[in-house]
Amino acid sequence: MAPFSLGPLRMRKMSTSLLAQAAVNGLFVGGVFALISIGLTLIWGVMRIINFAHGEFLMIGMYIAYFAVVRGGLDPYLTLLVTIPALFLIGALIFWGTIRPVLTAPSMNQILLTVGLSLVLQNLALVFFKADVLFAQTPYGKMNYHIGGVVIEMPKLLAFVGSILAASLLYWLLQSTDLGRAIRAASQNSRAAQLMGIHVRQTYLIAFGIGSACLGVAASLMIPFYYVSPTVGLFFGTIAFVIVVLGGMGNFLGALVAGIIIGLTESLGAAILPGSLARVFTFAIFVLFLLFRPTGIFGRRQG
Amino acid sequence: MTPLLRVERLTRHFGGLIAVNNVSFAVEEGEIVGLIGPNGAGKTTTFSLLSGFLRPTSGEIFFDGRPIHGRKPHEICALGLTRTFQVVQPFPDITVLENVLVGAFARHATTLAAEHHARSVLDRVGLGHKADQLARELTLLELKRLEIGKALATGPRLLLLDEVAAGLNPVEIEEMLKLVRALNAEGITILLVEHVMQFIMNICRRIIVLNFGQKIAEGTPEEISRDPKVLEAYLGEEAPDA
Amino acid sequence: MTRSPLLRIAAIGGGLLALGLLPLALQRVSRGEYYLHVLTLVLLYAYLSTAWNILGGYAGQHSLGHGIFLGLGAYTSTLLFSRFGVTPWLGMWAGAVLAGAVGAFIGFLCFRYGLRGPYFALATIAIAEAMRYVVSNIPYLGGARGLEVVWKGHNPAIFQFSGKAWYYYIALLLAAGCLAISAWLQRSRLGYWMVAVRENEDAAAALGVDLVRTKVLATVVSAVLTALGGTFYAQYFTFVNPSSVFGEGPSVQILLYSIIGGLGTAWGSAIGALVLVPIAEFTRARLGGTFAGVHLLIYGAILMLVMLFMPQGIMGLIRRAASRTRLRRQEGRP
Repeated sequence: MAPFSLGPLRMRKMSTSLLAQAAVNGLFVGGVFALISIGLTLIWGVMRIINFAHGEFLMIGMYIAYFAVVRGGLDPYLTLLVTIPALFLIGALIFWGTIRPVLTAPSMNQILLTVGLSLVLQNLALVFFKADVLFAQTPYGKMNYHIGGVVIEMPKLLAFVGSILAASLLYWLLQSTDLGRAIRAASQNSRAAQLMGIHVRQTYLIAFGIGSACLGVAASLMIPFYYVSPTVGLFFGTIAFVIVVLGGMGNFLGALVAGIIIGLTESLGAAILPGSLARVFTFAIFVLFLLFRPTGIFGRRQG
Repeated sequence: MTPLLRVERLTRHFGGLIAVNNVSFAVEEGEIVGLIGPNGAGKTTTFSLLSGFLRPTSGEIFFDGRPIHGRKPHEICALGLTRTFQVVQPFPDITVLENVLVGAFARHATTLAAEHHARSVLDRVGLGHKADQLARELTLLELKRLEIGKALATGPRLLLLDEVAAGLNPVEIEEMLKLVRALNAEGITILLVEHVMQFIMNICRRIIVLNFGQKIAEGTPEEISRDPKVLEAYLGEEAPDA
Repeated sequence: MTRSPLLRIAAIGGGLLALGLLPLALQRVSRGEYYLHVLTLVLLYAYLSTAWNILGGYAGQHSLGHGIFLGLGAYTSTLLFSRFGVTPWLGMWAGAVLAGAVGAFIGFLCFRYGLRGPYFALATIAIAEAMRYVVSNIPYLGGARGLEVVWKGHNPAIFQFSGKAWYYYIALLLAAGCLAISAWLQRSRLGYWMVAVRENEDAAAALGVDLVRTKVLATVVSAVLTALGGTFYAQYFTFVNPSSVFGEGPSVQILLYSIIGGLGTAWGSAIGALVLVPIAEFTRARLGGTFAGVHLLIYGAILMLVMLFMPQGIMGLIRRAASRTRLRRQEGRP
């Protein structure tokens, strides 16, 4: 395919190995996107809680993981033992303190509350850690494998595998355990659930904690190959919303697939289109889905 | 003379459920017609179809000879058909006067004219003294009056009243009866859905009975009260409020 | 509780007079120019919030991406000026028309397809972000670094003044004008339709209100006004870049003042700006060096507190107090 010209804009010449590389990286990153979005699927899709600070929770997790590695000398994957409980607790506390009171208020109140929360968290990080972009040097960062002209970076591969595992675990939790059933019941019809003895507030609390814990997992998995900064949550938070809509609100498998799709389009798009136009493409798709197919690619989950 | 409202083979499906099934009837200008039936008979669905909140799956609706099926609610209101809601739908955070003002703007372009009209409507429904009160502070009876007032302000030729007597005590029902009769006397045609038999029997010239989405009877109150099909339909649930 | 219109006009006139004389008074105060700057910002943000309030407060459609229109106004006038020498006084109307068209387009799509509440907010965020990326990537539009409004010396004809007081007076005019338009709209048929849409869409439709058309009109009016403010923004700061107009910051700030002040009232947004902008500016001046972003931290915290404890805003508190006194008075007299 010949290069496409638009004055100063040019589509880069595509070579198969470049595309293949972009596809592989996109797949791996897509897995992480999926994990981040699955946390949001639980929180927004299932519980209808709109948390605009979702990305900031990830940011917190990444700082925790970063310092655990750099100051504590932990292996990045061992930081999971720290980030998971930490994010669960933080999520639960923030839910109990700030979100629970506005559960019954108009949804705009939730949105504005969490927008405020995201501003607070972002700027607290800015105050404490400055705008520095931090990158944790780990032995994993250098592990690359060359397979058929494509470079497979170990940390990204591990992140992908870890994300799929975590997502599957979460899915199993929701489908096959009592807690999972309680969560689904409470989110579908909180009054009926209450009548059946389910303590709705507590269930939401735990579910919110779990959704946040997913971000802890994603954070630990990303530290070996991604940087941390106070604003790192902005992008991932927004992408998570896009993916949840694309995957169909509350649809886990949908979020998983949509995450990977977005990972691929972002990566391939960045390879093909100049600058950050790929990002615009993602947003355009998002808006189109909101308008014409809000149930997502796969439609809403039925239970 | 063409009837003001003509409904032909009106049908509405919700997936597998047929809520309104091949219903046909007409309402002449100046009449008060009742639409009754057991719970779930399709009465409110019919109102939603007539007022444009639902599209018919099939069938036609003609208002003053013009087809209105498939039109949007605000267009139908502009043509002269206005509905009230079974569960009152006020604008909670603005005053009673402002509530009615919204309706008045359907007929008047300037605030001055609309406000003048709104105040007279408030007087007609007996809420003149509550003009500056926030709607969220009203009692149920007052809210029902407000509901009628809002609709009235749009200057309708045909008013669809959805269970205006529900939840009222006998004295309040009498007041409501008087109000509805007065509106009709002014020339407004009225089609009302009602469960309260005292209301229906006293005011309607003609009654249409629905059951399971189908029209099972039509006639004067006396004819209806003696119709075995009607009695059978109602025996399936508690005796209607007499 | 109706105040006589004469009293109201007197109060407004007096207020305007006082505000008009303020720059003269500030000349004698040390750091007077700085205070004038803060006041100018207060007026600018009061203007922008009041404009937002038409869509967000009156019509109840909370846009979280109003930076779209701010940016369209700022960029259009600046581009026309830098590249073609068109005076911003004309350029701002071009920006306003463009913003109106974009607003109509976005509004029509969103409202025709039933986007409400959070989904509408999300759509506006996505569109604002997309615009930010697009503009950042097009060198002709200044790219990520933005565009500068080149200083050509004091020249009122091209919206450039050497004294801060000029900008203050323009901002005062804008703010007063926007409040006036807002107040007029509130009493007009369109205004009542907007409120009806906000309060209860079904009831509104049943009473003849064209939901889509009303919401789109609200969007257009709000967009046009916001874009005009965008031109002032560009001229005052002499600089415009994608993040500063299309970013999350300005969009949130604009609606913040309306939320704090109380949605749906003409004065609410102005009050919100009056209370918050000075806080932000003084914190930024004191701590901005060591702690960048403290003012956003404060804004975020205030937003959270307001949502938790007084979601109706300052005006909401006032109205509730007024309503309670009215009820008490009514019960006192049978």
